[in-house]
Amino acid sequence: MRTPLDKKTLLVGCLMAVLFCSACQKSLRFGAGPAPTHTLTIQFKPVVDGDSLEYGNTYQNIFGEPYTVSNFKFYLCQVDLLNTDSGKSYRLNKDEYFLVNFGDRNTTRIFLKAVPSTYNRIAFTIGVDSIRNVSGAQAGALDPANGMFWTWNTGYIMAKLEGHSSVSNQPNQVFEYHIGGFSGSDNVVQKVSLVFPLNAAIVFGSDRGTLMTIAANANAWFSGSNPTSIASTPVCTTPGVLAKKIASNYANMFEVLNIVSE
Amino acid sequence: MKRIIIISIISLAVLNAVMIGSCKKSGDKPATTPVNFVVPPGFPPTKFNFSANPLTKEGIELGRHLFYDGRLSKDGNFPCASCHQQFAAFATYDHDLSHGFNNQFTTRNAPGLSNMAWESNFMWDGGINNLEVQPLAPITAPNEMAEDINNVVNKLAQDDQYKQLFRLAFGTEEVNSQRMLKALSQFMITLVSANSKYDKVKRGEAVFNSNEQAGYDLFKAKCASCHVEPLFTDFAYRNNGLTLNPYLLDFGRMKITNKKEDSLKFKVPSLRNIYETYPYMHDGRFWNLTAVLDHYSVGIQNSSTLDPLLANKIPLTATDKYNLIYFLGTLSDTSFTKNKNFEQPK
Repeated sequence: MRTPLDKKTLLVGCLMAVLFCSACQKSLRFGAGPAPTHTLTIQFKPVVDGDSLEYGNTYQNIFGEPYTVSNFKFYLCQVDLLNTDSGKSYRLNKDEYFLVNFGDRNTTRIFLKAVPSTYNRIAFTIGVDSIRNVSGAQAGALDPANGMFWTWNTGYIMAKLEGHSSVSNQPNQVFEYHIGGFSGSDNVVQKVSLVFPLNAAIVFGSDRGTLMTIAANANAWFSGSNPTSIASTPVCTTPGVLAKKIASNYANMFEVLNIVSE
Repeated sequence: MKRIIIISIISLAVLNAVMIGSCKKSGDKPATTPVNFVVPPGFPPTKFNFSANPLTKEGIELGRHLFYDGRLSKDGNFPCASCHQQFAAFATYDHDLSHGFNNQFTTRNAPGLSNMAWESNFMWDGGINNLEVQPLAPITAPNEMAEDINNVVNKLAQDDQYKQLFRLAFGTEEVNSQRMLKALSQFMITLVSANSKYDKVKRGEAVFNSNEQAGYDLFKAKCASCHVEPLFTDFAYRNNGLTLNPYLLDFGRMKITNKKEDSLKFKVPSLRNIYETYPYMHDGRFWNLTAVLDHYSVGIQNSSTLDPLLANKIPLTATDKYNLIYFLGTLSDTSFTKNKNFEQPK
């Protein structure tokens, strides 16, 4: 004989089913706002003014000095999409750091999630904030094994540009900029804010992703508010006034080249 | 009806338990054993961030293995312990400068290691701001261990014993620099020296003899403003009137800050276990305590950055020096230099 389920059985069953379903759920979030469903891929592209940069090829800076590049890296964090008309902004990555290394194709593309909306600017930070510089052993992009860390005077190298130039008076005609410094007046962390091509506002919909290509111009390291020639300044490997000057130069090296749906 | 309810409750409960169990990452993740860091009586609050790197029995044990492992150096000959010898209170015994890779000298005297939980900046010039990243300096210095961090990680990751030690300490076999550095720090944090005769006197378990007491009275009057009890340092950077070594050209703290006013300043070292840590000063230029006291009483060189406390030197009679050296002997802690927990693991 089939026993009909009474209310008690149903109640207990439902209760257990709820428990069963929630067993693996870490935590429920309420009122977290719209979900970041839009995939934003940022492709960083090394350039020298209008040309693509290839390691080993010879380029010229604003001083007319010929140089080649053998190493070009920087730390990136705190990526925001903004709409300056509505005043809205959205932080795409909370604590994550990226090390963009133009010598390693795997690192030049970063993947982020954005809340669908209309945006007209992207902002990010170049460098590693002071907390991470004083908090001991880090992992991932901030692993000191990545060679962007000063061991004798603790601190991250925020950005690196190395190469050769016939005007350098250094051994093997190298030039070497290891830019760091996180405390007080030595702080070289740079905030970057970029408009989109043609000053456009672009809809980042929920149903597709976006590929944004951002150029990083090596020539900007030598020009800008503090023009610095290789002949006069082939090396900067400590925090201080010179590092700050070069950092304020390269803060202007970025440009959004194009934004395409994918 | 009752039976159906009971069966359904039991079966769902079992399923539920299975599901919860299956959520755990790797099922056999071993539990670690927390270690409580005890602050000795009279010691100030610690500086080490224990919440970011909680001490565990397994982490400390891994750190001890790493501290004594030559594979952290390029040719396998230079573990941390080659310059930091336990019987010398973790300084290099009887050496002004220590030896590093390929027959090279280090540039400074290896300091003794103890009571680092109370220290916030490391090295003679204070250039390193966190104990966890301190080992990176000697490991990568070309005249010390001369190795690359990636090479160290790769060497350790190929070793079955380390796979096990990393798993016990951190849950998985993964070897990375962060885990290595955190474990090394845990071991170093356990190197507490707080059981010398001086400490026993302070605790009422022993008494100074008359020479020691006379020396202690002198010490409090003439030395303790920089060598502050009970750590016997104030961790400040001071120029104590040493002449510049023309070969080493070591300007100390100025290298870190790029400030002229920091020229020739070095961190005030602790005096704990001072009998064991000879020779003395950042370059090990004084081979005994008499030479050190002679320096403070008559040898101090004046310069623009000389510490104001030493402007008039520290006048000491021969008897004063004798008694001071007696007192300094009470800072030797054999329960530290012979502590089995700090020895090379078997």
